[in-house]
Amino acid sequence: LLALAGAQALTPAHYLSLPDVARLQNLLSQQFTGLDSAYYSVVGLSKLGATIPDHEGVCQFLKSQLDPMSIDSLFFAAETSQAISGCEIPVSNETRDILLAAVSEDSTMTQIHRAVSALSSLGLPLASQEVVGALTGRINKEDNVMAGGGVQGTAARLSQQTELGGILEEIEDLTARLDDLGGIYLQFEEGLEATALFVTAAYSLSDHVDMEPPLKEDQVIQLVNSIFSKKSWDSLAEAFSVASAAAALSNNRFHVPVIVSALGPATLLVTDVMSQPLALANVLVESAYSVASKSVILSHASFTLNDGVFELNFMSSRPASGYYQFAVAVTGDTRLVGNHVELKVKVSTEVVVNNMDLSVVDKDQSIGTKTTRVDYPSKGKSSFTADSHQNFAMAFQLVDVNTGVELTPHQTFVKLHNQKTGQEVVFVAEPDSKNLYKFELDIGERKSEFNSISGTYSLHLIVGDATLENPILWNVADVVLKFVDEEAPVAIQPKTLYVPKPEIQHLFREPEKKPPTVVSNTFTALILSPLLLLLILWLKLGANISNFSFTPSTILFHVGHAAMLGLMYVYWTHLNMFQTLKYLAIIGSVTFLAGNRMLAQIAVKRYVP
Amino acid sequence: MSNSVISVISRFLEEYTTTTPNKLKVVDSYLFYILLTGALQFLYCLLVGTFPFNSFLSGFISCVGAFILGVCLRIQINPQNKGDFLSISPERAFADFLFAHTVLHLVVMNFIG
Repeated sequence: LLALAGAQALTPAHYLSLPDVARLQNLLSQQFTGLDSAYYSVVGLSKLGATIPDHEGVCQFLKSQLDPMSIDSLFFAAETSQAISGCEIPVSNETRDILLAAVSEDSTMTQIHRAVSALSSLGLPLASQEVVGALTGRINKEDNVMAGGGVQGTAARLSQQTELGGILEEIEDLTARLDDLGGIYLQFEEGLEATALFVTAAYSLSDHVDMEPPLKEDQVIQLVNSIFSKKSWDSLAEAFSVASAAAALSNNRFHVPVIVSALGPATLLVTDVMSQPLALANVLVESAYSVASKSVILSHASFTLNDGVFELNFMSSRPASGYYQFAVAVTGDTRLVGNHVELKVKVSTEVVVNNMDLSVVDKDQSIGTKTTRVDYPSKGKSSFTADSHQNFAMAFQLVDVNTGVELTPHQTFVKLHNQKTGQEVVFVAEPDSKNLYKFELDIGERKSEFNSISGTYSLHLIVGDATLENPILWNVADVVLKFVDEEAPVAIQPKTLYVPKPEIQHLFREPEKKPPTVVSNTFTALILSPLLLLLILWLKLGANISNFSFTPSTILFHVGHAAMLGLMYVYWTHLNMFQTLKYLAIIGSVTFLAGNRMLAQIAVKRYVP
Repeated sequence: MSNSVISVISRFLEEYTTTTPNKLKVVDSYLFYILLTGALQFLYCLLVGTFPFNSFLSGFISCVGAFILGVCLRIQINPQNKGDFLSISPERAFADFLFAHTVLHLVVMNFIG
């Protein structure tokens, strides 16, 4: 069986599918609210190839809403009248003069464009050279994207002989302003409408002068992505711009982007950006190779056009299952852009298990093996018994039903399910070099995985792969396992990850043990005792204060000094360093000055010449 | 051996009591007091433990600092050293002593906790 997926390389990621086109048409079919909405609706629908109902009614509407003095009004009416049949807008000389007067450097680009278009649609003569002059002059003043679109649109209405070289150069400069977003999108920063209108005008002009527009193939595809990525449109004008761009990209002389969509296995739908089938297309597979083995299985095979879709009969070549990479090309028209597509194809198949042999082997190989063959999908009749001295072995082959080739799927597991406790143990079966699967279970070695719980286990084989259509879950047999050191079978608890954990008790730092108060009091008294000793010694030495003179500086000094010592005590109990320094500065300076005086006096007294 | 030690010590004490001016003896007794206080603090720390350690340190450093400053004062006011301290009068030495003590007490009070 086949399945198709993906498309790499630069091919359009977005386009207007048939539902998108229908939605666009719906939006454009709304009731007219004015001449501009009539223009967008009618001209937009005609570009999408839809029929416009009630031409007569539209014509009446145009004539009734027309303001012959307004260039915009004339433009909308004139363009719309061209899109429907049998509608003539009456034109007076005044009208003609107004339109001609608008063709000058001093009008905006939009006005020039609308005036020229109106003149052209109404069948009035215009002087192409004058127009070119006005355009060239204007484009220097209005250097933006909308103006660029206007220039192109206007130039496309001029006669074939007009010299448009200068204008074409300007267009090239403008295309350089397109912003590349991630290599996928290309658009002007002014937005979707500006980009779409620019593209429409560019192709209209290039068709008119029969010169390829200055856009590379990759850029065209990126523009397609930008313009058609938005699937619901904010305004009638935006919808109109998208419809115009879609029409331009499906039908111009140079670039027609191709949309290749996969409808089903090996079936492709090839259309243009508006989901219209391409008449002249030829689809063929340039090469197809297997992803795994890189061998080419197809080269230059054509798709056949069958009722609007392209089909390829791939399965007839009976490819092996797996993934394949197809390089598809759409040919038949030199204008086709984005016509090389890469597709990923998956061939899936059905698998069958052959030659399933189960045996119980003694580890020391003294007793011969007894092999039992079990046929898929039935279950082994008798159950197998194995204990810690033995190995349990399985051998089998996985074979492709269609081709008879041995397969190595991604998932081959052997599951042992304890019927009483619900425990499941899963092992992987590995193929050897001849693609024969072998599985050996060493009972003694693996007892920890079974939690040494003896009992009856049902043995399942699980086979799965992305390319298999029939994954297998097969209860092959029952196995009775006997372990030594059996623990009492405990019902398996589901892992308790989400129960609240035991609360952590925070231990605050224990305050250090203090010595008993008696001890510290004793030592305090002890420390103070040398003071007593000092006083006694001083007395014995005859230290005295007999020289104490009651001068102000002496008194001040002693008071200040006592204050400083008192400040130390207060610092210890109440203050912080900053406050202390502040007070210390005050008291200290007083004490210093007084002390200086006092010591000087003492020095004078001591000095005996 | 011990005989000579005892005789040295007694000789030293004799010379000390006779030759040292009174002023210096006053300072010496102050130094002795400081020494005792420091030693007792250290003894307490050895016996009872270092809690609170910062208080012990500040007290001990206070004693050590005071002792050092006292020694400096004694050196500076010793008349025998007058030649070494020509520009520093005893009053000046005392003033320095007081200033240095202020700083010491500030630090000690900060650390005592």
